[in-house]
Amino acid sequence: MVSRVSRRTILAGGAAALSATAIGAPRLAFGQETRLRLMWWGSQPRAERTFEVTKLYMEQNPGVQIDGETVGWDDYWPRLATQVAGRNAPDIIQMDYRYIFEYARRDALAPLDEFVPDVLNLSGFDQAALDGGSVDGALYGISLGANSSAMMINKAAFDEVGIDIPDNSLTFDELQRIGMEITNAGKRRNFYGIADGSGLEPFFENYVRQRGKALYTEDGQLAFDAEDVREWFELWAAMREAKACVPPDVQALDKNQIETGMVSLGHAAVSYGHSNQLVGYQALNKDPIVMHAYPRIAAGVGGGHYRKPSMFFSISSQSQNPEAAAAYISFFVNDPKAAEILDVERGVPESSAVRESLAPKLDDTGRAAVEYIGGLGDLAGPLPPPPPLGAGEIDRMLLRVSQEVAFGQHTPQSGAEAFIAEAESILARG
Amino acid sequence: MTTIATSGPISAQSRGWLARAWTRNGAGYMFLLPWFIGFFGLTAGPALVSLYLSFTSFDLLTAPRWIGLDNYIRIATADPKFMASMRVTFFFVLVSVPLKLIFALAVAMALNRGIRGLPWYRAIFYLPSLLGASVAISVLWRQLFAGDGLVNSFLANFGIEGPSWISNPNYSIYTLIVLAVWQFGSPMIIFLAGLRQIPQDMYEAAELDGASKWRQFWKITLPLLTPVVFFNAVVQTIEAFKAFTPAFIISGGTGGPINSTLFYTLYLYQEAFGFFRMGYASALAWVLLVIIALFTAFSFLTARYWVHYDD
Repeated sequence: MVSRVSRRTILAGGAAALSATAIGAPRLAFGQETRLRLMWWGSQPRAERTFEVTKLYMEQNPGVQIDGETVGWDDYWPRLATQVAGRNAPDIIQMDYRYIFEYARRDALAPLDEFVPDVLNLSGFDQAALDGGSVDGALYGISLGANSSAMMINKAAFDEVGIDIPDNSLTFDELQRIGMEITNAGKRRNFYGIADGSGLEPFFENYVRQRGKALYTEDGQLAFDAEDVREWFELWAAMREAKACVPPDVQALDKNQIETGMVSLGHAAVSYGHSNQLVGYQALNKDPIVMHAYPRIAAGVGGGHYRKPSMFFSISSQSQNPEAAAAYISFFVNDPKAAEILDVERGVPESSAVRESLAPKLDDTGRAAVEYIGGLGDLAGPLPPPPPLGAGEIDRMLLRVSQEVAFGQHTPQSGAEAFIAEAESILARG
Repeated sequence: MTTIATSGPISAQSRGWLARAWTRNGAGYMFLLPWFIGFFGLTAGPALVSLYLSFTSFDLLTAPRWIGLDNYIRIATADPKFMASMRVTFFFVLVSVPLKLIFALAVAMALNRGIRGLPWYRAIFYLPSLLGASVAISVLWRQLFAGDGLVNSFLANFGIEGPSWISNPNYSIYTLIVLAVWQFGSPMIIFLAGLRQIPQDMYEAAELDGASKWRQFWKITLPLLTPVVFFNAVVQTIEAFKAFTPAFIISGGTGGPINSTLFYTLYLYQEAFGFFRMGYASALAWVLLVIIALFTAFSFLTARYWVHYDD
């Protein structure tokens, strides 16, 4: 397949020759071998699963060599951007809904339509899954699983206080009452009912969607106003006042990772994440963890959640071997054995055939993740428009302003005004 | 280097000079070559590129677009985060550097009294600086100063309920200052060497004249040590301006809570690698360079009024 030998190929070959010598197994570096680089973000369990699938693929496809690289979420995006800028992008790139538009519109990704269906089999995908990975009518990302935002509940902490896990009718008022009960019961040291969600963008998004709005409009403007932000901050000020949620200096320990979530740190019985993270949450916590949808703003109001592609595989526009990369992705999302290895760690698989073959093999955690997505019902609404440039900065800024409100440097009113003003200036700057 | 780089017509005489210079120093240049490559390829080259980029809008994915002075104008007039990070950084520099120097000098003087096993103590006190601003130490710091960390467990013995130091915007910067002061090793070693240079007969003479230890310190030790103090102050100030890792690790890269640990370098990093504004981040880097240069120039200008050289 390698017909052109570029400087990069030679460099890569040289590096491969070096590493081959290093492990004492001389391998063919210049022959007919197709080399692909694969990069993803994620935790250690994800790395193990991914490497195992890659190994399986290489066994079944001699002549294809796939080199995997993995880093954490925060380091992933700087590294990817640097590699793309240095014309050194990996062939297969794990993508997120937040970035896929940016990368696709700047021609960093290759459109995949030409490989469907001959190389890339997507017959088991429903239209929503395909749409999530499409940009301006072309397919750029293959969804690796569906997820949705979720609350992670420490079931043991609920049991200790004698509270049942609520059903899907849960409202913010009820959540506050539950939080107060757990805090007041004082069963654990420095322990509160729920985490403070006021600085969490997905939670806020859920809230504004229930109010019939969204974070961003189709043309990338704010789709909510200061009134929404003020009431959101007031809601959480009431939570803090009632000691339903953790105080601000405890909440500030959360670095938006599974490891530093209030549940994992043992400071609250409820914290917030995404449904595919249940596997990771359970791996880190001795107490049983169950998932629950975000509360309703009032009885009967829904539509805050949406089923979103947790992540994609995309192919770099710089790839020398897009077809081989597409074949690998096809294997990754369709092969029953690969699916068994991957489990639902990247979210619930999109292919209906894979879901069926996987169902009997899932453990309790896996089954809970699948059932959660399937059971959202009226709590789920349509996929929102993609976030515009600057959305990542607004996400961070929400966290900061929420802390300013929580620590008393802003009232909910002045915090809301500051948030809107700064968000608009970020969007204007792009 | 300059002679090698010179092009154009060269007279016979200078060519002879060049040849002789090459014969004399050629081997030296060859030995320096790896450094030259490193310096020009990895330091000077990228620095010049960043100067160019600071006049552009560049998001890594598309080619840089020339926008003239816009980045610098924004820094000067319309960037509240720049001001916030400046406040945090200046506070950090102005508090941590004097504390660190005082601490280093105190330890150096304690060690300079001919105690036995001095090399051991020196090594032990230097250890924190070797561990330096590493990721491991920053993680350790996070554990120490968390709400249920070791520091608060210790305080609890005295009935004091400490706050969560690292996650409270009123205290978080102080944990970083303590961390910086704790790494007093390298100025301490330099102070120690400086103290050794002070002739003992001066102290003997002072002793005979009945000067107290306190007076000896102010009239002999400190004046004779001023060149070393000056050196340490300049180096540590530059180091403090450049501090990055501790704030990055302890705040999880956010500079929070509420920008309370948003060091200038951390803000620069966020702009560059968090929000992909390479052009703007380059401009920020050059502004930092100018600030450090001004600080250093100021130190040198005032030095003549308080630094005493022997000769």
